[in-house]
This record gives sequence, C-alpha cells and structure tokens, in this order.
Amino acid sequence: MKERESLLEGEKLLAQALDECLEEDLSFIPPERELARKHHFSEEFEKTIEELLEDASDASRKRIQKHFFPRYGQWAACLLIFCICSGLFYYIIRPLPDQTESVQEGGASGSADTGFDELQEEAVPEFYEEPASDWEGEAAEEDSASGYAKEAYSVQEADLETVPGKKYCGQTVYPAEQQEVPEVLDYATTLVNCPVLDEENPILILTIGNTGEEELRYLNHYMLEVRLDDNWYVIPERLDAPEEWITLEAGMAVDEEIDLTDYHIDYDAQQYRLITRVNQELVSAEFTFGDGFTETMDLEENSLEE
Amino acid sequence: MFLFLALLDNPEEQEKFAEIYSQYRHFMWYVANQKLQDEHLAEDAVQEAFFALTRHLDKVEEVHSPRTKKFLATIVRSKAVDILRKSRPEEELSEYLSEDKGGADILEQYLTKENYNRLISCILELDDSYRVIFEYKYIYQMGDAQIGDILGISAKNVNVRYFRARKKLQEMIRKEGERF
Repeated sequence: MKERESLLEGEKLLAQALDECLEEDLSFIPPERELARKHHFSEEFEKTIEELLEDASDASRKRIQKHFFPRYGQWAACLLIFCICSGLFYYIIRPLPDQTESVQEGGASGSADTGFDELQEEAVPEFYEEPASDWEGEAAEEDSASGYAKEAYSVQEADLETVPGKKYCGQTVYPAEQQEVPEVLDYATTLVNCPVLDEENPILILTIGNTGEEELRYLNHYMLEVRLDDNWYVIPERLDAPEEWITLEAGMAVDEEIDLTDYHIDYDAQQYRLITRVNQELVSAEFTFGDGFTETMDLEENSLEE
Repeated sequence: MFLFLALLDNPEEQEKFAEIYSQYRHFMWYVANQKLQDEHLAEDAVQEAFFALTRHLDKVEEVHSPRTKKFLATIVRSKAVDILRKSRPEEELSEYLSEDKGGADILEQYLTKENYNRLISCILELDDSYRVIFEYKYIYQMGDAQIGDILGISAKNVNVRYFRARKKLQEMIRKEGERF
C-alpha cells in the first residue's frame, strides 16, 4: 500500500486522523485467541470458506490449463501400468544379463556396461553416445539425449526397431516410452505457468507442487516431448545436464526454470509436455506456444501490413 | 464463487489468503458483530469480506502487520454497513433520493492542525458508511473503481458518497467549532 505522493496537506492530516481513529477503535478488540474461544463459526461458514480455498486452487490450475491446452484425462490405471512398466524396466529388462553376455561373447571388450552400451547403440543408432562431446554437428544433435531419456528408451529397444523416429527441427526424435502420463498424481502436480512469448525469452517456469501429506522427491531433470501425429516424441537435450533428486516438503511448491535453448524446437503450435519424475512416478505438464508466440507474431505481421 | 477467485491465481496468494483467514477471521467477525449485533449476519459480512479480499489481495503486503489488520477491519465494516443498508431498504432509498443541501466543499479549510482534535472526534462520530469511503480513499489510497468493486457499487456512486462524506464531515467540524 504505497502512499500517494500527491496528497494535499489537509488530506494528509485527514488520512492521519482516520488512521488514528481506526487504531483507537481496534485497540478495544480482544486478541484473536480470546475471540476464538468465545465464538465458533457455523459449519456453513466454514464449509463456504473451505470451498473458496479449494476453488482457488482449482481456479489457478484450470486457468493455466486453458491457456496451454493441457489434457487432463489420465487415470489411475495409467499410473498402475506405469508402475508395472517401471518395475519391469528396473528389475528385469535393464540388467539384460543374457543379451549382455551374448554381446561380450561376440567380441565386445571391457565390462558388462560396455556391452550394454553397445546393445543400446545397436537399437538406437547414434542417439545416446557421448551426449555433450560435439553437439554442434548434426549427428551430435541426435546423440545428445540425457541420461533420463536414455532410461526411457532403453526399455523399448524392440519398439524402436519397429517404430521409426521422426525428423523434427533437424533432428530425429523417437516415440516416448510412455505415451499416457498422468498430469496429476494423488500427492503431486506440475504446471507450466509461465508462457514463452518468443524466442528471445525462452524460459519456461515449471511449478511442482506437493499436495500430499508427506515429503516427496523429484528429479530436477525434465524430459521435453512434442506431439507429432498423435504420438509423443522425446526431444533430445543439447547438453547432458546433471541430475539431482530434490526433496519437497508436504504442502510446498517450487518453481523450476526450464531453458528451452537447451532443446531444438521450433516454437510452433505443436503441443509439448514436460515430464517430471516424482518419487518413482512420472507426471506431465502439457502446453503449447500457440496462444502466445504465434498470436503475437500474427498481430505483429498484421500491424506491419497496415 | 469462481468469479470471486479471478485474482487468487497462484499458490503464494492462496497461501496468503489462507493465512489471513486463519489469523483474522475471528477479529473480522467481532468487528462485524459490533456493527450488526447479530452473530449470523456478522458471519455473512466476514464471508463477503473474504470474497472481496480475493480481488484485492495485492493491497496486503505483510499478513501480520497492523496495516493489514486495519484494512481487513475496513473491508468487513463496509460489508456490515452494506448488510445493514440492505436490511433497511428505506435507508438505502433515502440515501439515493436525498439531495445535497448545497454549499461549497470547504472541508480543506477545516483540515488544519489546529482543528486536529476536533477532526478526530468528528471522525469517531461519523457514520460508518461515510467513514469507510474515507478510509479506502485516504488510508489505502484506493481509486473509486476499486472501492466500488469492494462495495458492489459503481465508481460514480462511490464518488457521490465521497462528496457527501466530505460535506457531512465539514458540517460536523463546523458545528463542533460552534460549540466551543
């Protein structure tokens, strides 16, 4: 409440007198704790305010959803399927003992890890190897997916053989392992709440909220995906950024900045989504630049024509 | 209700709102009950005040500051005045039908340091419907449109009330001066 500088001398005196009178009136009011003992609000009142607070939370979520065309249609079944897939990935597929051995037997030198890398290389040619070494070249752009993306893809080597990658912004993108990712978990939600208006301001703000009653952990490394022909494709990162698990206390929210210059994207009207790993689950936040950037550009073009 | 939440659009504001509710709801009820002398109507006033607050939360900087407490008191008092006005339609009608008695607005002349004590006693006597307009305007530096939004009246009506309040206060100070 900033003071208006243009108050006249008499008005300042009036403001001072009003403030003093108000202070005097309020000085007779007992403290809140004492009042709380004397008066209990009706259930109707408490319920209305409770709804107000809940609606406020929904309102902000819906407002952002409307702006970015998100799709909230994820169900618990998807979550369950994901959990099962994750379990398969971590405990069955990832070690690949037989295949690793066969690769080693086939003449691969070094450890089992080396064999695993080579296996990945066969399945996803020139996609994961040496992500940060020479990304300036075209091949390197395709090679620069993060370790997080690696995880997503290693589980579906077979799929990658059958589902071809797509060319997008001069790079090959491959289908996301999990096409259906929930946008809200029982205990967490993510929202893209800062529109990118142009290529000069390429920072997205991703809000991660812990709506549960226990602390959660999220990985501060996000996967950007683009929707092409009704499928989600992972956009590789230019640099292999470090990953870190961060703890978020119950009821708290945190804003994470996503620098879109880390990705090759065209800022067009495609749908995008950011995938965040929360505990052992994935949660997505969908958005598009259609509302902001393209409309702004259209307006500027129209004004130039006029 | 959704419309009331147009500006409560981020977790920080929601948290601030929840904190205000937790910290001041009984205080606000007490202020309203002083005016209305009815516990249930006082709850209605508090509820209306919170709805209004969602649209003007930017006026609250520090939840635990005396200024915030005063701002909430003004809002809930104005809501209580509004409830009283609605419960007595004849008063509301008379306000809109009443004509100004004429005379120049010379309140500025009375607003001097010499008249300060007289000004204080007149403000304490001034009808709350006028006093809240002054408070919104001079303590919280709000414009007619903002005040109208809280009171549920047009900016033009806020202006009308404001000039009536000025004349009323001017008249009270003049009469107070004549007594001594």
